Amino acid sequence: MPSATLEEYLEAIYKLAERGEVRPGALAEAMGVSAPTVTATLSRLKAAGLIQRREGAVELTLAGRQTALDIVRRHRLAERFLVDVLGLPWDEVHEEACQLEHALSPKVQEALESFMDNPAVCPHGHPIPAADGTIALTQGAPLCESAAGDEADIVRIDDEQGELLTYLASLGMFPGTSVRICDVAPFKGPLLVEVGDARYAIGRDVAEKIIVSSAAAPAKRKGRLGIRR
Amino acid sequence: MSVRHCGGSDGRAERPDGEIVIAIAGNPNVGKSTLFNAMTGLGVSTAHYPGTTREVYTGTARFGERIIGVVDLPGIYGFCDSGADEEAARRALLDLAPDVVVIVVDPAILARNLCLAFEALERGFPIVVAVNLADEARRAGIEVDRDALASALGAEVVSTTATRSIGVEQLVQAAFRAAEGGASRRMPYDSEPEVFPDPLLRTSAALRSARERHAVAGRVASAVLTKREPVRGRLPRDFTSLTTWPWTGVPLVIVVAAAVFGFLFFVGDLLASAFSALWAAVASPVVTSAVAAVAGDGLASRVLLWGFDAGLEASRDIGLPYILTFYFLLGFLEDTGYLNSLAFLSDRVMHRLGLHGRAMIPLVAAAGCNVPALVAAAQLPTKRERTIASTLVLFVPCSARTAVILGSVGHYIGLAPALLVLAVVFAVWLSIALSLERMLRGRSRGLIMEMFSFRRPSLRRVAAKAWGQFREFLFVATPIVVAGSLVLGGLYESGWLMHLSRPLSPLVEGWLGLPAVAGVTLVVGMLRKELSLQLLVALTVATAGSAGAVLADIMTPTDLVVFAVVNSIALPCISSVAMYWRQQGWGRTLLAVGASIAIALILGGLIARILAGAGFGG
Repeated sequence: MPSATLEEYLEAIYKLAERGEVRPGALAEAMGVSAPTVTATLSRLKAAGLIQRREGAVELTLAGRQTALDIVRRHRLAERFLVDVLGLPWDEVHEEACQLEHALSPKVQEALESFMDNPAVCPHGHPIPAADGTIALTQGAPLCESAAGDEADIVRIDDEQGELLTYLASLGMFPGTSVRICDVAPFKGPLLVEVGDARYAIGRDVAEKIIVSSAAAPAKRKGRLGIRR
Repeated sequence: MSVRHCGGSDGRAERPDGEIVIAIAGNPNVGKSTLFNAMTGLGVSTAHYPGTTREVYTGTARFGERIIGVVDLPGIYGFCDSGADEEAARRALLDLAPDVVVIVVDPAILARNLCLAFEALERGFPIVVAVNLADEARRAGIEVDRDALASALGAEVVSTTATRSIGVEQLVQAAFRAAEGGASRRMPYDSEPEVFPDPLLRTSAALRSARERHAVAGRVASAVLTKREPVRGRLPRDFTSLTTWPWTGVPLVIVVAAAVFGFLFFVGDLLASAFSALWAAVASPVVTSAVAAVAGDGLASRVLLWGFDAGLEASRDIGLPYILTFYFLLGFLEDTGYLNSLAFLSDRVMHRLGLHGRAMIPLVAAAGCNVPALVAAAQLPTKRERTIASTLVLFVPCSARTAVILGSVGHYIGLAPALLVLAVVFAVWLSIALSLERMLRGRSRGLIMEMFSFRRPSLRRVAAKAWGQFREFLFVATPIVVAGSLVLGGLYESGWLMHLSRPLSPLVEGWLGLPAVAGVTLVVGMLRKELSLQLLVALTVATAGSAGAVLADIMTPTDLVVFAVVNSIALPCISSVAMYWRQQGWGRTLLAVGASIAIALILGGLIARILAGAGFGG
């Protein structure tokens, strides 16, 4: 059983790998530590056979992936518990779950799961891995990949800690909210989306974190001058 | 109606006088401030909270026999968010303990607007809902069933058109009833809501129900709204797309930026000369004789004149023409809704500088005058953006600094070298921008901004807003400018400034290669940037020792270039420093001013050597 620190690293690597190649620099930023610390920890993980290095990038081995999925499962179960049962706000539970996750034995995980009716996703919309190490394919694509005229539902928001969640919640954007993309500015500019009766400009960096499932895009009904209010 | 100056020394707002205190809350752009102005008239006082950039306006008003206190909270979407607005709103609710909260809603976006009403109810405040913009809603074919809304909320609902002061009387009466009776606190949630009286507490229940609150608000809104075909034309909506579509929007940005810049540069300049002539003709003699009466005709009176004649004049010369007109222009653009389109368009470019689209305005405005640009920069959402933007503003050559470049290099050498100096200054600005983005830790939150529909700007609303902001400048910057002028006057009149030139001489004469007197005028330029050149020209005769001497007699072309560059980069004027200090604190101010001096000196010395090496009129 790796230490809590190593578990945190595996979890971070797993999450970064969901978005692409994992570089030590990105890992250092995600963990909030210096590059030498990351290098030292990576060699410990490598010695334990949990990761391998390929051309500078970090990859999880099969064993590493199993362990990472196990931690992710505990983390997301803990988040679910904190929100659903204890009623903590969803933008604050990430940190708490980071503490709790290391203390959940398989027995407790199973008990939690059945107590909460086998939740499929965490409060932020990420799938919870099953006890056997399988995980539902993450569905959806970042909002910034949508085209003008698309309609989509928010699946999750890739920002587990922080102000973005609270702010989007104040504006009425949660997993499950329908949005309509009115306009996408060229040259990587912001998106103009309609939520309810209001319209918002959302920058690319924010739109990358809002994951939507493209509901079957209706035919582009209107030209770009025909934006509904 | 009365005006009171509040916001005591610790920056805490004082609870305004009155039988009851009403806080006006609502989403941005629903007409809260207009309602506030309609209730209190133009006379209001502001309170700054330490660490925030937002002011909270308070005022008192008389309705019949009764006096009420009114507080205008910043526009927010929820009480719990982390922005400067929400912070200021929470602090004000806690400090001022209003008896009733008026929630102003825009019927066009009723569902989201109502969430704030529910949140206020959850926090235990008696509320009254003002369905504002009734005229606009009618034109858009939207009708709100007020009785149904009132019974859903358990609170009174009043229809208002704040721009024409319609419904204000009824609103105040409803507020009295709500404050006296307390709210019925019957909320349409499925589960029994908990009530947390402390608005500062980020309680779990408040956030857990954000989703629930939106769902309930959506249900209530759709139950009370009737929508018919809009009566109004299609133009406003199409206009939004025209302003955000790059091929039409970018040319429009250039036109608007040029108009703002031109207005500040030319109209501001015109007004400034007019004011200064007026001052010289009317106020200056009065001040001079008053000073003569008090201090006689000696050193003391000359120093006093520096402070109260030149200093006050500087404040007026910059303040009235540049700052007030800028506030007016900015208010006008904001009121139409154009600023959001501008932010939308320039977001991508601003990203490179670690900023967002909204920072475009202060940076453009800074070319006119840095002081109002700093105020505009203070409205950015995160601390990091505010720091980057306001620091960058300090390094944008304002119209006074540009005037010095044109008046020295442009006048005595030629326009092309003057443009080259401007290009050098811009290159310095760009490298500062890029290094700031690297140096400052953290990331900006990213752009999430509501796009309001275009509306016809209201002159009254714009004027009220411009005046409110201008008061700020008047009461903050003027005393500092006067004090600074007194100190400089004392140094100059006592001859100490010339003594200062001796320790400065290794730098000024040795490194920059300028005459010693130029170094002194560069320091004096802190009062007003164009003063450095004016004073230099004035001192030329004394320095050259012969009547009829002109600047070119004591300054070589290289000297002029170096002088213009150093004057443009080093030492922002005292008004801007005062404004920057107010926002960023002493540490950052000393750092920014110090950096400006260091950069200017290094660059000036290098230019002197390069130009001398190149044989440019050395």
